[in-house]
Amino acid sequence: MTMSDGVPKKVRRSVWWRQFLLQGCWNYEGMQNVGFAYSILPALRHLYGGRPEELTKAVKRHLEYFNTQPSMGGVILGASVRIEERIAAGDADPRAIGTFKVGLMGSLGAIGDAFFWGALKPMASVAGAILALIHPFLGIAVLLLLFNGSHLSIRSHGYAAGLAGEESAVQYLKSAGFASRTEDRKIIAAILGGAWAGAVGSRTAYLFGGTTGSAGFFLVSVLTVHLLTVLFRKAVSPSEILLFLLIIGSLILWQ
Amino acid sequence: MVWAFLLAAILGAIAYLDRTAAFQLMLHRPLVVATAMGAVFGNVYAGAQVGAVLELLYLARLPVGASIPPDDTGAAIFAGTASAFASSSVGLDMGSFAATLLLSVPCAELGKTVDRLVRRVNGRISALTLEAVERGDSQAVDHGLLAGVTLFALAGAVLTLVYAGAGMAAGKLLLPRFGPESRLDFAALLPVLPLIGAASVFSCSRTERTAPAFYLTMTAVFAATLFFRWMG
Repeated sequence: MTMSDGVPKKVRRSVWWRQFLLQGCWNYEGMQNVGFAYSILPALRHLYGGRPEELTKAVKRHLEYFNTQPSMGGVILGASVRIEERIAAGDADPRAIGTFKVGLMGSLGAIGDAFFWGALKPMASVAGAILALIHPFLGIAVLLLLFNGSHLSIRSHGYAAGLAGEESAVQYLKSAGFASRTEDRKIIAAILGGAWAGAVGSRTAYLFGGTTGSAGFFLVSVLTVHLLTVLFRKAVSPSEILLFLLIIGSLILWQ
Repeated sequence: MVWAFLLAAILGAIAYLDRTAAFQLMLHRPLVVATAMGAVFGNVYAGAQVGAVLELLYLARLPVGASIPPDDTGAAIFAGTASAFASSSVGLDMGSFAATLLLSVPCAELGKTVDRLVRRVNGRISALTLEAVERGDSQAVDHGLLAGVTLFALAGAVLTLVYAGAGMAAGKLLLPRFGPESRLDFAALLPVLPLIGAASVFSCSRTERTAPAFYLTMTAVFAATLFFRWMG
């Protein structure tokens, strides 16, 4: 078998669509194992068609423990398709796929968590929340566009880079500049978060009346935000703080 | 009303699928879900109002590795429904607004527990899939994934019905039991809630460079909006 006998476009497209179900059977033991095997299955069926024993071995390879940030999974998935092409052609050792996946999933998980959950989601959420004060649908549209613009682009380009080979995947991860993009989005999120705190704070301060009352309320707001940030950093859950407020609220009503 | 609950269950199932099992397009975010529930139960603006505050409250907890953050989708289903029922022709009063947000916290914690349970059952599905593949049945992977996705969707639909029912009870029966004065007293807690959201965003994005950006913007926007309020 030569590389021209590799996975055709139609099958590659099918694998690309299936990556959206990477967490479809998320579990504590194998995490995204079933989702990964499901995603790559059309490629394996194509490569090992008519060789059921080899197909079983290949599927089992991908049912091993796997966990990464789901939007970054496309890179590993694309590269895995490429490696499986080589294994099917007898050009690579089947163990290479496990080594490659284990080697990359941890670092991609860390990069993806920091970018998607730690920077992009807060930025999109706070932008959406601010604009929802003008009109709900404007807020929702901005939230979805800001997040999915990057999300779908990274899934698409990452998968294409992976399909071009492991070196291309690593090159993509270097050139994508995730560290600087994460930092940029964190700054935007912080600016928008500050704008949100300032806007909602001034609304209440206005009810206090005079300059002294407003300045006092502003200082209390800053201290509250600072204290809460410290608590969140010490792994206190927002739920615990909200439950505490609920108890205070119940006591107010009780009186 | 039956149709409204049916529609809510379908939307809830989609939102819960988006949360973990499929796509992650952010259709499960509280702003989207609370607005949708508000629309289904008769007041889209009341839903969006609570959704905007809820959107930020739980951001501090990241879904990293095996950790499961509080179920803010469930909290939004409850709060969106409750706010739609509690609002009048003039909108949602401040006391009901605060109460709706705080009463949604148990939903966020219950959803987290159910999520853990679903993931444990998925562990069994994964083990069965592996056994079937070892017998040479590669189709078992398709079936295993379908089972997992169905489980997430069903759990989401059931949770949605429970939260929407609880939200209706809270908005229609519980909140009106307290008079306007009691609700106004309760509204004293309202200013803290958006600040929790701001702190949640800040704790995610906090670095040496972002801290001055956050506090300077907070000061500038506070002063500017207050100035315009006094002028206008």
